[in-house]
Amino acid sequence: MPESITDSKPEKVVCGPGLRRNGDEVLVCKSGILRHKQPNLYWIDSQQRRYVPGKGESVIGIITAKSGDIFKVDVGGSEQASLSYLAFEGATKRNRPNVQVGDLVYSQFIIANKDMEPELVCIDSCGRANGMGVFGAGGLLFKVSLGLVRRLLAPQSEIAKDLEKMFPFEIVVGMNGRVWVKAKTIQQTLIVANLLESCENMTAQQRQTLFRRVADGSI
Amino acid sequence: MYLPVLHSGDRLCSTEDCMPGTGVYLRHGYIYSSLAGYVLRKNEGEELPVISVVRETEAQLLPDVGAIVTCKVTSINPRFAKVHILYVGSTPLKDRFRGTIRKEDVRATEKDRVETYKSFRPGDIVLAKVISLGDVQSNYLLTTAENELGVVVAHSEAGAQMVPISWCEMQCPRTHAKEFRKVARVQPEYLQA
Repeated sequence: MPESITDSKPEKVVCGPGLRRNGDEVLVCKSGILRHKQPNLYWIDSQQRRYVPGKGESVIGIITAKSGDIFKVDVGGSEQASLSYLAFEGATKRNRPNVQVGDLVYSQFIIANKDMEPELVCIDSCGRANGMGVFGAGGLLFKVSLGLVRRLLAPQSEIAKDLEKMFPFEIVVGMNGRVWVKAKTIQQTLIVANLLESCENMTAQQRQTLFRRVADGSI
Repeated sequence: MYLPVLHSGDRLCSTEDCMPGTGVYLRHGYIYSSLAGYVLRKNEGEELPVISVVRETEAQLLPDVGAIVTCKVTSINPRFAKVHILYVGSTPLKDRFRGTIRKEDVRATEKDRVETYKSFRPGDIVLAKVISLGDVQSNYLLTTAENELGVVVAHSEAGAQMVPISWCEMQCPRTHAKEFRKVARVQPEYLQA
C-alpha cells in the first residue's frame, strides 16, 4: 500500500520504479511487493493492466491510420503513437515500406513522456531492424497483464522454459501487455494462448502440474 | 481630448491639419481611421498635432521585434514549443498572445541536437525575445538563443519549484532529482535576495 518507510541504513539507496524520495524519507507511490536486489537497489513489483509508454520499451502496435509521412499506431496507451515511414530498415523517400492499416508492428519508443505524443521507430541506433518491423501473417494476438509480460521477458524466465518443452511455436512479447503466438496448427496456437493467460495467478507448482497435464493430454 | 466612437474608414481630417499617429492611415491627402474607437489628438507644441485612434482608454502595448517577453509554455512538440505571452518587458498584457519557439531557436550552439523535452516543459515560465511578428495565422516567433534567455521558473514532477544548477539542469529541492531545462542566466540585479 502506498505509505512511507523510513530507511534506517546510512548507505546510499537506489530507488527503482514505484519509490520516490521526499527529503530524508523514501515514499512508496504504487501498491505492490517491495523487492530488493543487492547491493542497494529497491523497487516495487506492481500489478497493472493499463500500459504507460516508456522510452526504449519494445511494444507490439497495430497500425490504425496512414497520414502523410507518418503512421498512427495503437499501443494500448492513452494516446496513439506516431511511426515515421522512414523509420524502417532500408526505407528511403522513394522506397516506401510495405505497411498497411491493420498490420502488427514490433517497435521501440524513442519519445515517450507525459507531455508529448509518443513516437516509435522500427530500427535501432545503427539503422538495422534487429527483429523489429511488420510481422504477423497468421497467429493470434491477445492481451495479458504487465506483470506477466515482465516475468516472460526476464533473463531466466521459468514460464518460457516450461512452455518451450511443450511444442514448437513462435512468440512475440510486447511490453504493452500484448503477446502474439503462432504454432503449427490452430489448436496448438489456442492451447498456448490459453496457458499463458492462465499463468497469471498460478504458483510455479500449479503451473508445472497444468503444463504436464496438457502435454500428456494433447498430441 | 476624446470624441465619440468612430468607425473604421471614417475620414478624420486632412494632412494639412494634423500628423497621423497610430490607428490611422493616409489616403489621397486625408487621414482616415483604421480602428473603431476613440480619437485622441495630442498637441506637440510647434509642430502639427498628432491624431490617433485608440480602442480603449489605455493603449495596449504590443510585443515588437526585439522585445524581451515573459511567456508560459503551454504545449511542446518535437519541433517547437507553443507559449502564451504574458508580459512585455515589465508590463502585463490584458490578453494572452500566442508565441512559438522553434527547435532551432532554443539555443545558439548545436541547434540540430536540441530536444524540446530537455529544454522546456508545459507550465514553465520562459524569458524570450521576439524575432518576428508572424503572418496572419501564425503566432509570434520567439527565440531563447542567448545566455540571458530561457527558463526562469519551473516546477519538478514532484510539484516543487526547482533550483537552477547549470545552464542546462535544474534540481528539485524535495526529491533531489535533476531535470533538464534551457536555463536563463538572470542578471544579479533582477534577483531578489
